[in-house]
Amino acid sequence: MTTLALARTPERGTLVRAVCVREWREALGNRLLVAMTLLPPVVILAAGIGAVAAAAANPPSDRDVQAMYAAAPAVAGLDPKEAIQGFIATYFLILFMLIPTVVPLTMAIFSVIGEKAARTLEPLLATPVGVGELLLAKSLASTIPSVIVTWIAYAIYLLSVSAIGSQAAVRAVTAPRWILAIVVMVPLLTMLSVNLGILISTRVNDVRVAQQIGGLVVVPVVGLGIAQVTGRVILDNDAFLQFTVILIAVDIAVFIVARLAFQRENILARWR
Amino acid sequence: MNTVIRTEKLTKRFGSLAAVDGLDLEVREGEVFGFLGPNGAGKTTTLRLLCALIGATSGTAEVAGFRLGRQDSEIRAAVGILTEQPGLYERQSAWENLVFFATLYGLDGPRAARQAEHFLRLMGLWDRRLEAVATFSRGMKQKMAIARAALHEPRILFLDEPTTGLDPDAAKTVREFIVALRGQGRTVFLCTHNLDEADRLCDRIAFFRQSVIRIDTPDHLRAELYGRSTEIRLMPTPRAEDLVRVQSVVGVREAHLENGSIIVSAADPLRTNPLLVRALVDGGAQIAYVIERKVHLEDVYLSIVEGRAKLPADLETSGKVP
Repeated sequence: MTTLALARTPERGTLVRAVCVREWREALGNRLLVAMTLLPPVVILAAGIGAVAAAAANPPSDRDVQAMYAAAPAVAGLDPKEAIQGFIATYFLILFMLIPTVVPLTMAIFSVIGEKAARTLEPLLATPVGVGELLLAKSLASTIPSVIVTWIAYAIYLLSVSAIGSQAAVRAVTAPRWILAIVVMVPLLTMLSVNLGILISTRVNDVRVAQQIGGLVVVPVVGLGIAQVTGRVILDNDAFLQFTVILIAVDIAVFIVARLAFQRENILARWR
Repeated sequence: MNTVIRTEKLTKRFGSLAAVDGLDLEVREGEVFGFLGPNGAGKTTTLRLLCALIGATSGTAEVAGFRLGRQDSEIRAAVGILTEQPGLYERQSAWENLVFFATLYGLDGPRAARQAEHFLRLMGLWDRRLEAVATFSRGMKQKMAIARAALHEPRILFLDEPTTGLDPDAAKTVREFIVALRGQGRTVFLCTHNLDEADRLCDRIAFFRQSVIRIDTPDHLRAELYGRSTEIRLMPTPRAEDLVRVQSVVGVREAHLENGSIIVSAADPLRTNPLLVRALVDGGAQIAYVIERKVHLEDVYLSIVEGRAKLPADLETSGKVP
């Protein structure tokens, strides 16, 4: 008697959906992970709204105004109270770029190290699914919630600044280049963070160690923020375009390296 | 009978270490094939090779009609594997675990649900399907892992230590499941250290250490190593003429007295034993019982794999000859 297996390689969409749903269920069942995922956007959002509200309520000192004009010559000539709100609103938009670097990292690390620790990778790899597709599905499972969280945080920030801030502040948060940054650069930064997280997780068995190493991904974003505040970098349209192109290139490179590390045989025989 | 696994000089090296070295193997469709060897012999590596989880260093293999290294995805779709560790998603329910894996094996929604229900009922876990796997006992997790391996009804099921850590009841369920799979014409490739289990379940056995040392049926291995002997217990004790009578029966190779019994070695005990009984009864002997002297597979294993043969006098007796 000849018997035939029922199995076949699943459609990519079906696979991605199944992996995402499973990982999200797993994540939602882990309170620590949920807290670590939501804490950064909540803190940045609260600080940003609070800072704009404080600037709206209190007139800036002469020293603050001079520092602002030095850092952002473009606002010279505007009403200082108006301008400083715009300046603060813009500064916190840069901090919003930290969310996609921090939030998905934890989830991506748990997604691989968690499976390593639970020894669930071997049965997963024994299915007809390709490792490239599995890596993509895992990447998306971490990327999608992070992008959504960042976009929701931005939407709340936008509404709040519109309600309490000056015209300059509203213009700052609705500037086309920042909307483009949120729409385009946030997913790119998230993908970078996720694939770095996966890459690090292939070599490390401890979530905390992986997070410490992965935390370095925020350094360029923080550096960019400092450079902007000190007036060393002006984030105009050209700068955004350049950063976007660089990010795309780095994203592709990191995904390729992660894909090379995420090989069936490496995972089973060499990952410890 | 079709061959479902065929390997030729299959070799897997990790650096200078040959985990599998020139493996030549043929496994037939519908048989339970035992794969026995000591720890570190390369059994798990062989399983991973045959399930297309890792690539071979050299040699060739065909699994379920697909070529290893060229049709790996097809091989993985055609086989199921129970790994050493259950490897289940502990925070998720039994139902969620099985439906997830059914989806990865390409089963559509209704089919995945049907298969998950079928195997949860078969393993006696249906009533606890909505509970997190973390709350399950070791035995329940093992049954879940077996259900997951068989979910897509593979042609070949690779089972690595399927009953380790199970209580007798759970172990019985698993053994019955293996027998049922054979009844469906599926092939079971069984790695185990439980030699009694291998003896009971396997049609053929391979003794393995980096490569195959011997392959045969358990009975042939016993017969070849130790012959097939019968113990005849007489009341009150055997007389000298009883031994002479036994030695004169056609088909008897050798007979001797041992601890109040006559031990008879014959080429074909099923044919010879009735003649022995008749000869002894005709001679006025009182027969208490006649039993086959069965060598434990453990002794065969130790003899072949470890090179430690046991003396016939040490062998235990079990199983009645019809």
